[in-house]
Amino acid sequence: MCSRYLRISLVGPLWIVTLLALGGCQREKRQFQSSPVTESGPMQVRTTDLQAGQTTPLQPDARRALYENNAYNLSEGKRLYQWFNCVGCHAHGGGDSGPPLIDSAWRYGGEIEQIYATIQQGRPNGMPAFGGKIPEQQIWQIAGYVRSISGNLSRSASPGRNDEMQTSPPEQLMEKQPPVTSSPAATEGTQK
Amino acid sequence: MPDPQTGFRRVPARIGTRRLLLAATIAIGTCRVGAAEPGNPSDWTMPAHDYASTRYTDLAEINASNVKNLTVQFTFSTGVARGQEGAPLVVGNTMYIVAPYPNDLFALDLTKPGAPLKWSYKPNPKAAAQGVACCDVVNRGAFYYDGAIYYATLDGHVIAVDAQNGRELWNTTLGNINKGETITMAPEVVKGKVLIGNSGGEYGVRGWLTALDAKSGAIQWKAFSTGPDSDVLIGPEFKPFYASDKGGDLGVHTWPPGAWTIGGGTVWGWISYDPDLNLVYYGTGNPGPWNPEQRPGDNKWTGGIFARDPDTGRARWFYQTVPHDLYDYDSINELILLDLELKGQQRKVVVRPERNGYIYIIDRATGEVLSADAYGTVNSTLGVDLNTGKLKYNDEKKPRQGEVVRNICPTAPGAKDWNPSAYSPRTGLLYVPHTNLCMDWQSYATNYIAGTPYVGADVKMYAGPGGNRGVFTAWDLKKRAKAWEVKEDLPVWSGALATGGDLVFYGTLEGWFKAVNARSGALEWQFKTGSGIIGQPVSYRGPDGRQYVAILSGVGGWAGAIVAGGLDKRDPTAAKGMVNATTDLPDKTTKGGMLYVFALSAH
Amino acid sequence: MTPFEHSVLDVAGVQNAYIHTMWTVLLGICALMYVLVLGFLLWALLRARRTPDPVRPAESTGVESALYAWIGLVIVGLFGITITSYAVDRAIFAAGQKSGLALEVTSQQWWWDIKYQNDDPSQSFHTANEIHLPVNVPVTISLRSPDVIHSFWVPNLHGKQDLIPGRDTDIHLRPTRTGVFRGQCAEFCGAQHANMAVYVFVESQQDFDRWRAGQLQAATAPTGSTAAQGRDSFMTSACPLCHTIRGTDAAGVTGPDLTHVASRASLAAGALDYNRGNLAAWIADPQGIKPGNHMPTVGLSPQDLQSIAAYLDGLK
Repeated sequence: MCSRYLRISLVGPLWIVTLLALGGCQREKRQFQSSPVTESGPMQVRTTDLQAGQTTPLQPDARRALYENNAYNLSEGKRLYQWFNCVGCHAHGGGDSGPPLIDSAWRYGGEIEQIYATIQQGRPNGMPAFGGKIPEQQIWQIAGYVRSISGNLSRSASPGRNDEMQTSPPEQLMEKQPPVTSSPAATEGTQK
Repeated sequence: MPDPQTGFRRVPARIGTRRLLLAATIAIGTCRVGAAEPGNPSDWTMPAHDYASTRYTDLAEINASNVKNLTVQFTFSTGVARGQEGAPLVVGNTMYIVAPYPNDLFALDLTKPGAPLKWSYKPNPKAAAQGVACCDVVNRGAFYYDGAIYYATLDGHVIAVDAQNGRELWNTTLGNINKGETITMAPEVVKGKVLIGNSGGEYGVRGWLTALDAKSGAIQWKAFSTGPDSDVLIGPEFKPFYASDKGGDLGVHTWPPGAWTIGGGTVWGWISYDPDLNLVYYGTGNPGPWNPEQRPGDNKWTGGIFARDPDTGRARWFYQTVPHDLYDYDSINELILLDLELKGQQRKVVVRPERNGYIYIIDRATGEVLSADAYGTVNSTLGVDLNTGKLKYNDEKKPRQGEVVRNICPTAPGAKDWNPSAYSPRTGLLYVPHTNLCMDWQSYATNYIAGTPYVGADVKMYAGPGGNRGVFTAWDLKKRAKAWEVKEDLPVWSGALATGGDLVFYGTLEGWFKAVNARSGALEWQFKTGSGIIGQPVSYRGPDGRQYVAILSGVGGWAGAIVAGGLDKRDPTAAKGMVNATTDLPDKTTKGGMLYVFALSAH
Repeated sequence: MTPFEHSVLDVAGVQNAYIHTMWTVLLGICALMYVLVLGFLLWALLRARRTPDPVRPAESTGVESALYAWIGLVIVGLFGITITSYAVDRAIFAAGQKSGLALEVTSQQWWWDIKYQNDDPSQSFHTANEIHLPVNVPVTISLRSPDVIHSFWVPNLHGKQDLIPGRDTDIHLRPTRTGVFRGQCAEFCGAQHANMAVYVFVESQQDFDRWRAGQLQAATAPTGSTAAQGRDSFMTSACPLCHTIRGTDAAGVTGPDLTHVASRASLAAGALDYNRGNLAAWIADPQGIKPGNHMPTVGLSPQDLQSIAAYLDGLK
């Protein structure tokens, strides 16, 4: 009698635990090898909301899934953001000689494709062109990370608190600020 | 009366009140300044007013008792809402203003009501230069010399413009933005040579001071701030006072191999000139990168003061105010040339309120440091050893890669940044507009990538002891102590102007333009301009004989970056840590770009 | 790849010699105890089989004295180990007090940055993954890490010493014979922890001085048009963003210093032997060779790849 009760009281939790454990089996895929063909493939991007004639929406790029939802790529982007001196002009999102990346105001667009284009091509008022210097896969990683600074990416993928000196709020905990392209906050102060 | 164009002041020569009143009366009565000669003491022909950099005008019409009647006479919009650091120039009946990028030059006709625009000159600099300007797209002004206006643009051009009609006389390219080089300083024209230096100490730029021929714009000489003696123009006539500055090719040997080529030492501040000794004096900026562990060694010749022969550029002496700089303490501040009586002797000195927090009095013939006294909170260093000349660093505050060092005073912009002080021979006081900020600092290894910042440090700044972020100090050079000070809530980033009416003018970061009593520091008058003030006030006698005071209003620069750049206060390290210290600034001021000119209201 | 040694038991340094003494004493005492214990066990088993009645311990003669003897043996053994340990520790410390050469090793994921210090900063230089030391000269190596905990271990020369972010540790070496000794990271530090080797070349003072003088030189100028083209391709592509070649405009520090890359015995912290083919392979596909390491796949054209490999191969 006692042992049967014991068996029954263990069976339920055991099943639950097993199912939960099996749920954790899927490990995030890390793509170390970049494919030059896909990484630098053509991409539809515009830097403004204004279109002549009937508006057509842009399709989100197929690479979004890999670079916006992947914790490894975002943490690599964070490392590269510092290595390639993005911190020097944009600080940790607050801005310096370059505009802030932590808010919702974007001069040239805040979707990942637009950020990729900005990094790769440079921009007239002072953003250097990194195309041909930073490999494409790394530009995607940095663009994804930049998206996370303004809290736009999932909590599980975004980087957590720094070990170094406290700067901006951790990307994981940042409140989501959907980008607004060409808003006055973004463009005021420029001559063009 | 000393000639501000070619002579430096012999001081102190106390001018009695009666003589002044007499002079003023004569001036007002007889002066119909149709076309005042250059060199007229009632003009303002160079940002520092004179080669000794006193920023003092004899004009005494405005004084403590009547300044309450000071009102706006006319205004002028520069058309650019970025940091206005310039000093308006006045030559005869024309005022010249340089705006921030895109660096338009305006000439205003002072003889007509409202001072309408006479002409403007548009240099069309490269827009991409904005990307390598560390601290807002500022310009500190032009220089008038022999019928031409000389100034520089952000993308590294030096231009001579005909002062009468605004035609370009010559345009020489000196800087390369792809190396991170820009130019923000006002040139100094001495003996027919235009002296100008580069900016970019935060971009791995190798600093230099170049002399161009004032008539043709051709390069006459170029003195680098790092590298072999042949590049630094060091030869047998070089006689530094201290042993640590003696030796061959120190600009190479005090660096790891090759580091001097991207070592900084940019020359972006102020130059003074002594015609008797025939020496120009200027300072070199911080070494690069900010992370000191990437460049062990004294890092000569960055962070120090050079005395050079203006004809050949050859160095006479050098003193390093910050050997192996640890905190971005550029050594480019103003150098005021004075004759002071020290310890019973008359000494020809140069006075430098330094970024590292000490007011240096240095013998300008030899480079010997006579005194170095702290004028603010200093814990990053423990004083200057006057025997060896060496700055004594505090081991507890030394940056280490991977560690956060907290509460370092003064901050990276220093106890005082580029914004210049003024000296009054009447009071014998040095008027120093400066800050009271401390910082946390963490350095890390950084890659050099040309055209991007080469810094390697995260910084957070905040108010120093007392809670006030700005100070306006009157320093008694004889007593080597503060005579009085005015505490300001916000960092003080404007220049100072001292007048013969015993008033001192300066501006606050939220836009108040103030006149304080030169002797007591009491606030005598203030006016709220449209935006924060980081410019240099000047004073001149207008065509109608009245004394005018002019100031550019428009917040920006490093201190005002949060407003000028629209930065975000959620990141305390933004603007290299300045945002953390100015999170309230956007609530107190917006951007602007307006010239205000004041005079006593005509009765 | 030159043949190398990689064994704790082949003593090549003063510190390891002391450790070896400790090891030997420990081995001896423990072996003796082991043999005795097994011997007693065997004897007990054999005796138990022969005797039908178990012998009561109280009646057995000699058991008490045997017990005392055993306790005595254990005490002597433990004391021996303790004293040896203490003496070895003191000796290693004393050996480390001598000053000679000063190095600074910064471990990165997953390579070693080696800096040769000098009071005159213009006589200091960086190299990567390869240390050269003069024989019989004491060396002090300060150890730092900017990212995660690593551990520096050259078994022929000394024990392990951790490199911990935010802390300064150091290790003192004094090699006693020439040779090539392999070391590796001994603290799990990420995906490529297993491929983080460091090679220590101990040589005569003259050979060391010659090597050092060579390393201090700026990079050799390229000879031939392919190498010259390679230098230009190098400078205009991604490479200078992370790598330094002294004497050129490349001054990146987050990747290994390449000024004398062709003078080294291995590439990628021991993942490959150095030769031009491996160099080209590494540049073409670093992720295939060392997946997860921080050198990206740079999309170079075949010509650029060849010319850059030619240029770098000339940087001896």
